[in-house]
Amino acid sequence: MIYREAGQFKTTYASDQAIFPIVQDRVFVALFALAAFVAVPLVANEYWLQAVLIPFLIYALAAIGLNLLTGYAGQLSLGTGGFMAVGAYAAFKLTTAFPALNILIVFPLAGLVAAGVGLVFGIPSLRIKGFYLAVATLAAQFFLIWLFNKVPWFVNYASSGTITAPPRSLFGVMLTGPQATAGVRYLVALSMVVVFALVAKNLVRGRVGRSWMAIRDRDIAAEIIGVRPMRTKLLAFGISSFYCGIAGAEFVFLYLGSAETLAFDIGLSFLVLFMVIIGGLGSVLGSFLGAAFIVLVPIFLTNAPHTLGFNLPVALQKQIELMVFGGLIIFFLIVEPRGLARLWQITKEKLRLWPFPH
Amino acid sequence: MSAGPGPLLVVEGVSVRFGALLALNQVSLEIHRGEIVAIIGPNGAGKTTLLNVVSGFYHPYEGRILFDGRDRTRLSPPDVAALGLARTFQNVALFKGMSVLDNIMTGRLLKMRGHFLLDAIWWGPARRQELEHRAFVERIIDFLEIQAIRKTPAGRLPYGLQKRVELARALAAEPQLLLLDEPMAGMNVEEKEDMCRFILDVNDEFGTTIALIEHDMGVVMDISDRVAVLDYGRKIADGTPDQVRKDQAVLDAYLGVTHD
Amino acid sequence: MTETLLAVLRPFAEIAGSPAFFIEVLIGGVCAGLMYSLVALGFVLIFKASGVFNFAQGVMVLFAALTLVGLLERGVPLALALPVTMAVMVALAFAIERMVLRPLVNQPQIILFMATIGMNFFLEGLGEMAWGANVKKLDVGIPDKSFMVKGVQINQLELVAALTAAVLVTVLAVFFQRTRIGRALRAVADDHEAALSIGIPLKTIWVVVWSVAGLVAIVAGIMWGAKSGVQFSLSLIALKALPVLILGGFESVPGAILGGLIIGVGEKIGEVYWGPLVGGAIENWFAYVLALAFLLIRPQGLFGEKIIERV
Repeated sequence: MIYREAGQFKTTYASDQAIFPIVQDRVFVALFALAAFVAVPLVANEYWLQAVLIPFLIYALAAIGLNLLTGYAGQLSLGTGGFMAVGAYAAFKLTTAFPALNILIVFPLAGLVAAGVGLVFGIPSLRIKGFYLAVATLAAQFFLIWLFNKVPWFVNYASSGTITAPPRSLFGVMLTGPQATAGVRYLVALSMVVVFALVAKNLVRGRVGRSWMAIRDRDIAAEIIGVRPMRTKLLAFGISSFYCGIAGAEFVFLYLGSAETLAFDIGLSFLVLFMVIIGGLGSVLGSFLGAAFIVLVPIFLTNAPHTLGFNLPVALQKQIELMVFGGLIIFFLIVEPRGLARLWQITKEKLRLWPFPH
Repeated sequence: MSAGPGPLLVVEGVSVRFGALLALNQVSLEIHRGEIVAIIGPNGAGKTTLLNVVSGFYHPYEGRILFDGRDRTRLSPPDVAALGLARTFQNVALFKGMSVLDNIMTGRLLKMRGHFLLDAIWWGPARRQELEHRAFVERIIDFLEIQAIRKTPAGRLPYGLQKRVELARALAAEPQLLLLDEPMAGMNVEEKEDMCRFILDVNDEFGTTIALIEHDMGVVMDISDRVAVLDYGRKIADGTPDQVRKDQAVLDAYLGVTHD
Repeated sequence: MTETLLAVLRPFAEIAGSPAFFIEVLIGGVCAGLMYSLVALGFVLIFKASGVFNFAQGVMVLFAALTLVGLLERGVPLALALPVTMAVMVALAFAIERMVLRPLVNQPQIILFMATIGMNFFLEGLGEMAWGANVKKLDVGIPDKSFMVKGVQINQLELVAALTAAVLVTVLAVFFQRTRIGRALRAVADDHEAALSIGIPLKTIWVVVWSVAGLVAIVAGIMWGAKSGVQFSLSLIALKALPVLILGGFESVPGAILGGLIIGVGEKIGEVYWGPLVGGAIENWFAYVLALAFLLIRPQGLFGEKIIERV
């Protein structure tokens, strides 16, 4: 009864195209934003911020990036980890070379570097499709990681081989480095992901999104009606890598503090791909849902035995986690291959009718 | 519609081969502005191949194609589309993952100018353009009477409606030349009548030149100004419906006289 | 500039300078290549018959090896352990068909692929839980010793592995091309529904294929395990098989052989002769870049079918 559109007529095309056409949605989102920006930093404890919310926001950004490329443009990519690494190392080099440069500018610049690399590795997509393209992106993944491992210039010749986020501040507030509080880092990550999610939504509901989806659904017909494949695919690779690059920079600067290439290996690529598939290919909301799922499941699995009263040896716990994780993925794919976003849509439809069954 | 200077499309001695198979063998055809030309022939005659080569999807290994007097034999499909050519496909090539509205809006892509950075910001020129094009597309939706299914994902529509949406998408591009590949395949009598009416209306109101591949002889005889007949990759007849109906070569092809 | 050029060309001189060593490297590459082919073969079988790219093939190899070793360690004689392992793999095939393949029968490839990754995690956890996580030694009675032939050193174990792989691959190639079941499998790979409509029992076929893939996994597991011990990095073999499949095409048995050989030899020679120039460890990415280069020239791989797009 509450979630009804009755009486809300859209009289202009503009209102039809809006991101949140229904008033109830807008109210909900406004409240949610208030909670996220104001309530959470005040209320949440260190553990939740550091172990759950910050990584969630960063993964969500990466997932949006990958979703744009794989979900909307249909180009399968297994190189997400590599592109995130590019962003991280680029941010590191930029901020150590130009310490006075505002860190909030360094992130997008690092994203641009990643975008450039993404464009280069996207060129094969003009000739190669589907799984074969995945191999090209794997080449990118392995090569980039090897490069960052082998060339000491990237880590400023540190013998440890790691990059560490130097302390940076804005208006006197520490944003990165050991002094930066979890609350501040959370807000930075939150702001970034909200801005870029909006940008992504704008892109996909207009001209760019449609040309991507046309290429994804029927690339030949798309070409015949005038979509230029090279431009469209390269744009997808570029923008996607931009997002992943920023996420990678945030990964080190706002979350881990310091990292080596291991943090960006093929496992990360698969992790982000899971987020996109479980969340829903071709959905910005899905990227968030998928990221939340992937972040929360291991935490839940680690803590559940405690709360249920068992105490399992660590190794066994890890093994069960693996099995449950794998099992959940398969379960999800069987139950709803279009992901959590679709489940959410179905829920909303049912809410519209509630309390009537149909 | 007044005829412009010269025919809109000239196909001159075009041959297309796939390996050893000669799909089109020195086919020549002229289509004048404002005409409705039907292309008929038995299965495998090369009709769809002809449309594909006109679209730029295949390149002929000999012969020329002139659009509006200019040689465009070697152009790529997007460039051909930019010249003012739109088409529908034999196996409905809608974008299954998008709604009907979005599908038709993709027809407007060539007319949409802009830079992705402006799109990213949305408010301002990108939004204005989007709304303008939406208004245009809504007129087409009205014209083809598909308002009710605007937001339905294209993959969920019944076949007949899918064909209509494909037509809408082609019309959205405001083409000079519209190529229709079996637009009435699989439709019942009522749907065919509707489709005929739409095609005639498009030709009347917008002056669009139309070339269509069709198997239903009744439709062909009714709506076309001229008929071209293909058989085994060759054109065997070209004239008004009445002329073609009585042509011996056509009768042989359809009744199956053995060829050497 | 000239220095770099010289550095790149010098290895050629090295090759010419000591041909015996080069042949050793070559043989090493061929053996590694054949092992890759074995694993790739498992992929090809499954892809041919169910259209699924089975990411979990690597873990199946591991699982097979683990089961075998586990049984051997508990004193079960080889003659019994082998059939029992086979039975386990067949049971696994049944389980996979029932719980993963059947519910996902009409889904797009990427969904199936992700499901196999899920399987990968599941089987990894299960294997570790059942048999323990430490490296195990697998002894199949073939000594890991080398002997000399005309000044070239050949490792006995590698030789046996290579021969076994060669035999297995040939048998499977013949099986697919000549027998009725092979034909049925090809039909299924082409179009599930069409195959069903002419009476091919889909479920049985799938179980057969996944069991055969299981058999291949056992052989591969034994060979790899005997060489480097049974450990969890075996499951990463899946990723290495990808470039092999790219070169050979996803559906070609001879392609898997040739692709494996090219990758194995290419990788070894690249690493030994040119690797030191750039600090080594190029094996990590060399195979992929090689595959990528091939793809740019022939997007369908060496043996893949040319994709003719129809509109």
